[in-house]
Amino acid sequence: MRYLASRTVYMLVILAISSVAVFYAIRLSGGDATAARLPASATEADRETLREVLGLNDPIYQQYFTYMGRLLSGDLGNSLTNNALISKMVVEHGRNSIILGAAAFLLVFLVGVPLGMLASVRRNTLADQGIMSLSVAGMAVPNFWLALLSIWLFASVLGWLPSAGCCEPRQLILPAIVLAAEGTALTVRMTRSAMLENLDSDWVRTLRAGGLSEARVIGKHVFRNALIPIISLAGLRIGQIVGYALIVEVIFGWPGLGQVLVNAVLRRDYPVAQFFSLVLVVMVVLGNWLADLGYLAANPRLRKT
Amino acid sequence: MASPLLSVRDLTTVIRTEGIEFEVVRGVSFDMYPNEILGLVGESGCGKTMTALSVMGLIPSPAARIAGGRVLFGDRDLVSLGERAMREVRGDDISMIFQDPLTSLDPMFTIGHLLTEVIRRHRSVSRSEAEAMALQALTEVELPDPETRMSQYPHQLSGGMRQRVMIAMALMLDPDILIADEPTTALDVTVQAQILDRLLGQQRRRGMSMLLITHDLGVVAAVADRVAVMYSGEIVEQAPVTQLFSDPQHPYTQGLLRAVPQTRHQRGALHTIPGRVPPPQFVPPGCPFSPRCSQALVRCWEEHPELVPDDGRHLRCFNPQPLAPA
Repeated sequence: MRYLASRTVYMLVILAISSVAVFYAIRLSGGDATAARLPASATEADRETLREVLGLNDPIYQQYFTYMGRLLSGDLGNSLTNNALISKMVVEHGRNSIILGAAAFLLVFLVGVPLGMLASVRRNTLADQGIMSLSVAGMAVPNFWLALLSIWLFASVLGWLPSAGCCEPRQLILPAIVLAAEGTALTVRMTRSAMLENLDSDWVRTLRAGGLSEARVIGKHVFRNALIPIISLAGLRIGQIVGYALIVEVIFGWPGLGQVLVNAVLRRDYPVAQFFSLVLVVMVVLGNWLADLGYLAANPRLRKT
Repeated sequence: MASPLLSVRDLTTVIRTEGIEFEVVRGVSFDMYPNEILGLVGESGCGKTMTALSVMGLIPSPAARIAGGRVLFGDRDLVSLGERAMREVRGDDISMIFQDPLTSLDPMFTIGHLLTEVIRRHRSVSRSEAEAMALQALTEVELPDPETRMSQYPHQLSGGMRQRVMIAMALMLDPDILIADEPTTALDVTVQAQILDRLLGQQRRRGMSMLLITHDLGVVAAVADRVAVMYSGEIVEQAPVTQLFSDPQHPYTQGLLRAVPQTRHQRGALHTIPGRVPPPQFVPPGCPFSPRCSQALVRCWEEHPELVPDDGRHLRCFNPQPLAPA
């Protein structure tokens, strides 16, 4: 339980620090926030008035506390570009991002873990070498390039799948695969090495000496032990997916949080960029916290102390 | 004497590394009888464990394989028995206890789970019946507070308690044969005696046949009925325990006995056998012990001696000499 408490405190500290970092980073990035709101012909006096209204002339720490105060009371503010309610944008685009992210996350584990197990059981055979070569490719190919390549092949040449858009299941396939590629490759390698490490354990011999079948020994016992590192690294996979979603959503025209964030940054739409950055940070930190909980739940040596 | 329960004949096991196969168990033969303990002794790396794993069909595959010989158990040859049929034998007719109890139990499952899984593998009983059997087995090896232990994980038990769990697991299905591979080596000296005592008590009570693998000659002298001495993958001498200890014939056996520290003798350097066991890749063509033997003849370097039976003893030596007084 102390482990759980310390992980939770750790998570809250990280959240607080990163909210400050995000807030400062956006203000340090330069550019003029009034450009998003006012026409190019606006006078310097108009711009100054707007800055005063938005509180942009206050010291940054004061702006931070004002902002966090509003945030915690549920007021997310409006976009500078089109005055849309940020709370509405989150719901709308958040749903799309969750669909894409969840699809990629499932792919990572539903494909990565079985392939890794297969490679470990068929160690040093053609199947193992084939899977491991694919996994090296999956880690080495940058996902923006993989995205372009897959659009070229499956949309342009073969015409099997749409190149972009939302939100048909057919349109989900390519972005989900591209988003999952690197995580899957890493999960394959990790599953394989965790399985092999446990296959060499003394207790495997004990189970075999008890007459248990290989399917039981490997499928139940070795896998159960290999699951611990797999779960503890699931948090990193969440972070990876959230980060890569920025690129993948833009390339595939998938209207998720990442796409909104990229557009907001380009337009100096502070409130939107700020809030959506925070959302991504929260998702990453929360993902890691969940992985810590899973690690705790999966490992009896940590459960009772 | 009764007919043997298990007969190992010319067992040869090879290991392959970097494409070259070499023999780690070379033509080993021995018999095991009911209600008897056979001690198997020798230095580390002489092939004791590989012999036991070969009998169990648990040699690491595909790195190792049994290249020849038979393991006769009842009317079956375990070497040629298929893996599926062999799994029926393991844990039920023949069980094995391993050296290191700290690493020999799956850390992810409770003691009760591990025991009942093996029981239900071999007996069609309900979960609660299996649990009762497991509890009974834990009680018999005098594990303190067995009900609580059933729901505990291996890391919550001490080394001695875990070895008791291993013994309970090996004995709970009443096997005909128990192979104990250095069962006390990894334990504290005070716990060693308790565990050995428990093992011996169960063996006598069940009239079970036991193969006790150890490098501790004191243990062998105390509990074994017969002793086989292994060197470089082969048995070099085999005899009833009193005969072997009072009148060792093979120079290697003599060396082993003289290497045991004796408190009644004067202090000084302990006796050692010069050199070390040849690695299996470089076994000399003649007697494998000849490079370390003080009484080796020219013949010993050129010819490989056979294991010759003589009045209840088997000996593999061209030039046995009586043991010189230390």
